[in-house]
Amino acid sequence: MSEPTKPAETTAASPAGTAGTATAAAPSATPPAVPPPAKPPVKKPGADRRFFLFTWMGIAWTTFCASMAAMALGTVRFMFPNVLAEPPSSFKAGVPGGYEPGQVVERYKQEQGVWLVREGNTIFALSTICTHLGCTPNWLENEQKFKCPCHGSGFYKNGINFEGPAPRPLERFKISIADDGQLLVDKSKKFQHELGEWGSPDASVQV
Amino acid sequence: MHGADLNPQVQNGLAWYYLVVMLANVGFGWYQLKVNQSRKWAYFWFAVSGLFLLHVLMYVMHNFGSDQGRFLPYWVRDLSDYGLSRGLTSMGLPPAPGNLSLNDIITRSVEFLMYLCLGLWICDALFSYVLRVRIGAMFTEDTRELFCGMGAGERMVLWWIIISVLMVILYGTGAVTYFMLANAVFAAVLVWRKLFTEPNVAWLVMNLMLLFGGWSMTDPDFRHIIGKPDNVPIVFLVFTVAYFTWLPLRRAVINDERMERGEPPLEKIEDEKVLVWPDLVYTELICMVVVTVILVVWAVALPAPLEQPASSTKTPNPSKAPWYFLGLQEMLVYYDPWLAGVVFPTLIILGLMAMPYIDFNQKGNGYYTFKERAFSIISFLFGFVILWVVLIFLGTFLRGPNWNFYGLYEEWDPHKLVPLNNVNLSDYFWIRWLGILWEHPTGSVSLWVIFMRELPGILLILAFFFVLPPLLAKTIMRSFFLRMGFIRYITLVMLLLLMASLPIKMLLRWTIDLKYIVAIPEFFFHI
Amino acid sequence: MPLGDYVRNSQIWKSIFRHPAPKDRRNRVVVMLTNFFLHLHPVSIRKQGIALSYTWCMGGITFFLFLVETVTGVLLMFYYRPTLEHAYNDIISLGQVTTLGVLRELHRWGAHAMVIAIWLHMYRVFLTGSYKPPREFNWTIGVILLVLTLLLSFTGYLLPWDQLAIWAITVGSNMARATPLLGHEGPGAKLLNVGGVDLIHSGSDARFALLGQRFVGEMTLLRFYVLHCVALPLAAALLIAIHFWRIRKDGGISGPL
Repeated sequence: MSEPTKPAETTAASPAGTAGTATAAAPSATPPAVPPPAKPPVKKPGADRRFFLFTWMGIAWTTFCASMAAMALGTVRFMFPNVLAEPPSSFKAGVPGGYEPGQVVERYKQEQGVWLVREGNTIFALSTICTHLGCTPNWLENEQKFKCPCHGSGFYKNGINFEGPAPRPLERFKISIADDGQLLVDKSKKFQHELGEWGSPDASVQV
Repeated sequence: MHGADLNPQVQNGLAWYYLVVMLANVGFGWYQLKVNQSRKWAYFWFAVSGLFLLHVLMYVMHNFGSDQGRFLPYWVRDLSDYGLSRGLTSMGLPPAPGNLSLNDIITRSVEFLMYLCLGLWICDALFSYVLRVRIGAMFTEDTRELFCGMGAGERMVLWWIIISVLMVILYGTGAVTYFMLANAVFAAVLVWRKLFTEPNVAWLVMNLMLLFGGWSMTDPDFRHIIGKPDNVPIVFLVFTVAYFTWLPLRRAVINDERMERGEPPLEKIEDEKVLVWPDLVYTELICMVVVTVILVVWAVALPAPLEQPASSTKTPNPSKAPWYFLGLQEMLVYYDPWLAGVVFPTLIILGLMAMPYIDFNQKGNGYYTFKERAFSIISFLFGFVILWVVLIFLGTFLRGPNWNFYGLYEEWDPHKLVPLNNVNLSDYFWIRWLGILWEHPTGSVSLWVIFMRELPGILLILAFFFVLPPLLAKTIMRSFFLRMGFIRYITLVMLLLLMASLPIKMLLRWTIDLKYIVAIPEFFFHI
Repeated sequence: MPLGDYVRNSQIWKSIFRHPAPKDRRNRVVVMLTNFFLHLHPVSIRKQGIALSYTWCMGGITFFLFLVETVTGVLLMFYYRPTLEHAYNDIISLGQVTTLGVLRELHRWGAHAMVIAIWLHMYRVFLTGSYKPPREFNWTIGVILLVLTLLLSFTGYLLPWDQLAIWAITVGSNMARATPLLGHEGPGAKLLNVGGVDLIHSGSDARFALLGQRFVGEMTLLRFYVLHCVALPLAAALLIAIHFWRIRKDGGISGPL
């Protein structure tokens, strides 16, 4: 590398900065052994100039940077839409008497993404979204399980995962009986087994 | 049903295919005869092209009123898909109820042979590496005579190949056997690179690959997969990666030999400068023309796939990611999405970017070599060829409905039942071994319960990432540590450990059905 | 005067090409310096550096395919509308109604070929040790270009709006749901809450920003379309320029010292 020349350059440059053109005439010469000449009696730079530089410019830069940061945050927020055209989150699913014990109702899978399951006297609403990566599992009547086609996760009828990569059971939605006696499924509230929420009275309906 | 539908179109296609292969062999034989002056090899390749000519004839005969050409026999497919016992059954040796039929005897003796080899492998490894210090050179250098001059490393690979092949024969192509065999072939190619990159040997390997492809094409299920338009690039990929692994290895072998003799590498020989016009500009032009022609022919011959309109409720079975992400999708089977889908890809990218800053080896810059940078080449090739390309192949050809594993020629039956009862490490440790069940108090989540339940897994993970690096620095990677300095070393070891964590988890899943090492579903945290 | 000479002596021709055809050594040097498209190259180069057994021409092929993708992509944009109502039918009409119905095929197969070519380019650069000093930084840019290529391919995969597309993207984007801290099913997301209200939920996590809604739908299609046609190609073009510039600045194609 250019190591021998490096110190020469730096020493030549530093006096040039303080003493103006005094040493700039001989940049390649060896650094002057004598200390740079005493500073000429110049006027002290204006205090107002320094004040301007460090205070007003500082305030200006801070304001500018802060507003740019706010703009950047706003841009990030911009990527999150505020209004969504998504369908309403609750629907009615007929009277509870229409459900056979042990039945998995697939009627609402297509439009609502919900299976209604009756186990014994309990009816609950299972989400059709696989907890692994969000594919839609299929109900296999013969094998009495939900099986996800993407990575092979399997769930029992009650939603508990037992095979494949799914880390946790299917989610259940809030279910209740509406005023007209029909089942009312509310998809905006969900219950997760691993959080011990399935015991909640809203997570199932007794027939 | 199987193989009965070799329609005229398929047969004509196969005839064209074999014709091209035959002509290529004639050309290669001609090259050996005229350029290399090697009569022996030339005649060999002419004979091989004769073999392919027979195939051509076999598949054009149907045009002249003859029967359809031959297809892959059932027993080969059953052998490949389900293993020896079923393969023998298809050959006409059903297992008798009394369990002493010829089928059982053969299957069991092959199984015995496999375990024998496994035992011998372990003994060999013990004597070659562990006990070497005590017994001295007796079992290392002297035994070379015994093993046709093979060193200990070469013997390990040989044992590995024997066992993988026996496993494939016994159990058919499954995830385990496929991955074992791919690794064995990978190791063999690197260890015996001089042999495998010899042009005639490499050409033979390519012929075998082409013959395998041609024979397999007579199977309707194989044809169904390979015929999907989006899978064509994978066939491209397999052949180009094979070729472009051969080429650098070949030149590396030559260069290594040259440099041992004190000569400069091949890339140094023609060192004079040439003008870019015409030399480079015309090369580029020709490349562009060739690529354009390939692309246009491909586009005209093969329509781009378009399935049914999107429906957010009907998930196709199987649902596959774009083919270049199938390695990631395979990873998702073993690791949770936050690891396999977010952390690992990020680390792959960062690791690739960090590579030039980690690699302190100044040699091998600007020419092919293997010996001068064996470690970096082996680890990169393992990452690219095994953990990326091989897994893409696996995801494309061997994963079927419900993401089950299917043999190459197996029908994609969506009702195939594969028990996947995976168990968490905490269950193994606490419930099955110690008989202790950690349960949350009803209605709440206790951090203490989670911590105690997952303690064995957490300790294992911590040991993997915090005990192994210093241990390696003391032992086998000591020279690395001394030469690289702390930061480089720790980055390298962390990346290597993360890379190794994929095959390790695969093996644990396949052997002991391990689901998660640490499983905290309460916080979506699984490793 | 023959027509060729007449053209070559005309003011128009001479205003475009400032010197005679590159037939002798001097003009072969000059053409590399005066032609905009060729000045990317040096004037002369080591003979081994351009041998096909050394470069495999894969970097060049990748760039060429990028150009093919740009041209065919712009043409496809004239007919394709990224809405749930039109997307699928526009793709069908691109194959059946428009003249030259192979543009979509060219675009798709070109994209696949580009993915393979860029992998092989990386493979070659690794195996020749060309990432070593002084080319470390250019390797890093190359890795980003590789990621951009994969992202371009991934965003483009959704646009036909068929079953293949929507499920590949559903599986792919659901990984974002599990991003640590920033995905609503990622580890640590539960820690980010203020006064019992989760900050990260399915309507505010990383996947939501990517998709523009809670599931793969119309907003997603639009977002992926914009990323695919504008944002990612611009980023890639900029990085390609830097990549090429750095090749020259780092000493051209690598070779033994």
